[in-house]
Amino acid sequence: MIVTRSWLEEWIDLSGITTEDIAKTFNSIGLEVDRVHEFRVPKKIVFGKVLECEKHPNADKLNVCQVDIGSSVRQIVCGASNVRAGLDVVVAVLGAEMPSGLVIKPVKLRDVDSDGMICSASEIGLPDLGKGILELDSSMGAYKLGDEVCNYPLFNDDLIEIELTANRGDCLSIRGVARDLSAAYDRPIKEYTTSDNDEKRGVGRILSLTHEKDLDVNLTYKALDLQELKIPLLVKLRLAQIEESRECDVEAMLLYVTQSTGVILRAYKHEFFCEKGEKMAKVILTEDENGYACIKGKEIASVVGIIQKDASKATNKNGTILLEASYIPPDIISKKMSESKIEAGPMFYKTSRGSEPELDAGIAFCVDLIEANSNSTTYGGKIEHIKNYKEKIVSVTKQEIDAIIGAEIDKIVVANILKNLGFDTSKSTTDNFVITVPQFRHDIVNKQDIVEEIVRMVGIDNIPSKPFVLTEANRLEDNYFEYKKRSIFRHRAAQSGFFESVHFVFDEKKVLQKYGFKTTEESLELLNPIVQTLDTLRPTLLTGLLKAASLNVKNGYASVKLFEIGSIFSAKREESYAMALLFSGEREAESLANAGKPQKVDFAYFVQKIADIIGAVELKEYKTQHSLSHEYQSAQVLVDGVVVGELFRVHPNVEKEYDLDVTFVCELDFSKIPYGLKIAQKRSKYQASFRDLSLIMPKSMRYEEVKQAIEACNLPELIRFYPVDKYSDASLGEDMSLSIRFVLQSDEKTLEEEDITSVMDTILEKLKTELGIGLR
Amino acid sequence: MKEWYDKINDAKDVETLEEIRIAVFGKKGVLASEFVKMKSAPNEQKSQIAKELNSHKSALMNEFTAKKIVLQTEALQAAMKAEAIDVSMFSTKSQAGALHPVMETMDRIVEYFSSMNFAVKTGQIVEDDFNNFEALNLPKYHPARDMQDTFYFKDEMMLRTHTSPVQIRTMMSTKPPIRMIAPGAVFRRDYDLTHTPMFHQIEGLLVDKEGTVSFANLKFILEDFLKYMFGDVDVRFRPSFFPFTEPSAEVDISCVFCKGEGCRVCSQTGWLEVLGCGIVDPNVFEAVKYKDVSGYAFGLGVERFAMLIHQIGDLRSLFEGDIKLLEQFQ
Repeated sequence: MIVTRSWLEEWIDLSGITTEDIAKTFNSIGLEVDRVHEFRVPKKIVFGKVLECEKHPNADKLNVCQVDIGSSVRQIVCGASNVRAGLDVVVAVLGAEMPSGLVIKPVKLRDVDSDGMICSASEIGLPDLGKGILELDSSMGAYKLGDEVCNYPLFNDDLIEIELTANRGDCLSIRGVARDLSAAYDRPIKEYTTSDNDEKRGVGRILSLTHEKDLDVNLTYKALDLQELKIPLLVKLRLAQIEESRECDVEAMLLYVTQSTGVILRAYKHEFFCEKGEKMAKVILTEDENGYACIKGKEIASVVGIIQKDASKATNKNGTILLEASYIPPDIISKKMSESKIEAGPMFYKTSRGSEPELDAGIAFCVDLIEANSNSTTYGGKIEHIKNYKEKIVSVTKQEIDAIIGAEIDKIVVANILKNLGFDTSKSTTDNFVITVPQFRHDIVNKQDIVEEIVRMVGIDNIPSKPFVLTEANRLEDNYFEYKKRSIFRHRAAQSGFFESVHFVFDEKKVLQKYGFKTTEESLELLNPIVQTLDTLRPTLLTGLLKAASLNVKNGYASVKLFEIGSIFSAKREESYAMALLFSGEREAESLANAGKPQKVDFAYFVQKIADIIGAVELKEYKTQHSLSHEYQSAQVLVDGVVVGELFRVHPNVEKEYDLDVTFVCELDFSKIPYGLKIAQKRSKYQASFRDLSLIMPKSMRYEEVKQAIEACNLPELIRFYPVDKYSDASLGEDMSLSIRFVLQSDEKTLEEEDITSVMDTILEKLKTELGIGLR
Repeated sequence: MKEWYDKINDAKDVETLEEIRIAVFGKKGVLASEFVKMKSAPNEQKSQIAKELNSHKSALMNEFTAKKIVLQTEALQAAMKAEAIDVSMFSTKSQAGALHPVMETMDRIVEYFSSMNFAVKTGQIVEDDFNNFEALNLPKYHPARDMQDTFYFKDEMMLRTHTSPVQIRTMMSTKPPIRMIAPGAVFRRDYDLTHTPMFHQIEGLLVDKEGTVSFANLKFILEDFLKYMFGDVDVRFRPSFFPFTEPSAEVDISCVFCKGEGCRVCSQTGWLEVLGCGIVDPNVFEAVKYKDVSGYAFGLGVERFAMLIHQIGDLRSLFEGDIKLLEQFQ
């Protein structure tokens, strides 16, 4: 909604209040200010009258004018096509500095002296009103030739654009905004009084209204014989200021009145409703095939509150028209539109948010404006269809108001605010406000709504803050601990060198399916994805990380370490948290520490990183369900014997696709990662001993088999064992050497050499009998 | 004897000094041979010679010990000097990773409200109509439900458009009093320079006995919270409209970039809008069948907070895993 100061002043006295203060007040009463703009016409631009206008002797398109500027008559050469004798104009006199930077000086135009410039609207800093010079008229009010125009409100105006919340349809007019200001400043609103010049000829002679159904719609009709309708400058200029200029004069006039009063107006050709040769327009209010209230003659003329058909529109400056003011409750049309949407006209925005129900105020304003700017005559009386408005009454006590606000608000203040906003509080008792809500406030239905009106007029900034007194309670529940768990693992990952990455939960179905991921089932799929590359819910975090890695490689990073903890979705669209990590390329940045040659990440290095973050992991051979993985470097990840996810090198083809160097990824079911308090184990106080065995075994043998065989020995002294070196060369052929470290310790004593030998012998014996392998 | 004093003094290193020690004090050293010589001297001179020799012995020993300390110190000094490092060459940056600025901002916000005794609730991303709209006083024909704004699924479920459904779910499953925040991802069908289809919100809800929760209480906690997040800023409340609160307000802070002077970021207004809040609408309580209660609620966008706090210009860069951006938060 755009308002101008001069326009507002037609409805409320704003003297002594700066525009800056008005903007501040708008913000504090909930009409958010988007923009303030000043229209300032420069000095030395004055009112003038063209006394004579003759063709320039040497130029076809120029005219030589004698212009009265009060103090003197000046000769000015003017190129505008609409310049003519008798016209009141604005003249930039010598020394005037135009908004364009041009300074007016005496000049010769094709040998003719020109002392000034007759200006168009845009030349003096007003909105563009089309070709030609500005033609002044009586809508300006009285002015004196030679006076600087910047002393007149219309040429020295401020524009404020406010952003209205969806509930404030009542503020979609100048009058409505003025009403809110009236409450804020406690100044009365200036109501419009009609001049009523209606003829004796009654409207009933040319118009009848019948309704086929008793619809919840208010309609008022008047009829006019239009003659030479002219749009006054005031209307043209204001519509241009709010960027709503109209080609059609009738339309411009109606729009101006709607903008001023909030009443929705339409003008129909009289003959649209007449049988051939008849003088009586038969207007019918009925329902169309979709159940919308509509106005019909022989065919549909308009849908109430939504759109007027072009064929019925009165667009000529002359002829008989029917002027209609209408109102329909906004919830009725919003609801209807959500059920069966139809094309809507420009007024739908206003009607769906609630237009002004006081129809007489709008239609009288319109008739008066047309009469003042044409030779039109108006038929006497009006024809209407008005539904009885069932009054909304809300009652609220002072205590309730104070409790919701948290501060004591004076009763008189409350009563005044409500009165200025148009609420009737006359039925109130000592402690109880009984409030009749005006029909234009569709948004007010309960106590809270009333309190909101008080709050915004008192000003939230004037309410003292107060801490809430609460009963202590332990609010650290499961959700909090889950949050905490994520937080801890995020910190660990970051500390281990990984950057946290956040991606949309959307992904591209085609790509996911190409890699063999199960995507959301068709019947549960997204109905309206925003782009094709984000057309399904992600079943994995890995594709997002791969894309991000690719971006970083393009940006010149040789080492990319990323992780994400986020939601993923099963084919059945069940949500769960996953944690994924990606390590690509070099282990670290080049530095003195690595002599400028950092090693690349490998399987062992990546697994170590993962263990640093989530704790000791056990890896099992594994084939992934999807095809992102290197088939011979894929593992299932177990923690404390429970499968928590998978870890693998990215398939070389996928690495190539994403322009990546050697890349490892790991994706874990976040809920499976153990988290909680650790229990300390009892440790032997005796010294531990270490022994290494270098076993010769076939390359094809899996370590898993060796491990199981050793574990099967069930040796209490064997605390831990793990491979420390792997070696093969030509002399070993199909075999390799694997060094395993054994940690031996007893709870009862320091182990003697013979104890150790006995344990190692048992192991060697087992390996020999079970697997046929032994020492080098 | 005299010459040995000079030799000790002139010794350049510990090894030379050791050779001198052997030459003087060794079994075949000078002193030993002088003592042998003394045996053949006349008896009356013996005691005088012995006295002189003993005096030399202890004087030389003192000289030797002192010199040894000097030489050892010098040697160590030299050895260390040989290990000298140009430390300036070793200036380095962190090789650690970093938390995402949006997630880190979320952590800070959660930390504040946790310490103010708010519970943390998370909820679910795929929501139904009742929890996301209906119960929040957004009837079927409300403009905010437009297809333009919401991601729907074929089975009429939707991606939550705000974290408010978590409030509804919490109220449906627990009894008042409630004091909670709901952090999480939310979704709107909007993708341009200043909108991403996914972003993060944190909403807060307080429900207690009727007549106990006021707008003044809401003001208190939000003013305190915003000062905790942004430091010494001015806070301004503007009445506004949300379907689920009444009265409602939008909260602005004085622009953190221009300190309220007016700049590009605040569109020359000097203020930045950061929060929406209000007193819970009675229709919401009715939807969850709560009686005789009052409450307040508030909500904020985490990305906006992160971008203002860390002065990040490009919203979309937050969802690209871009190390150029992330490494600045090491």
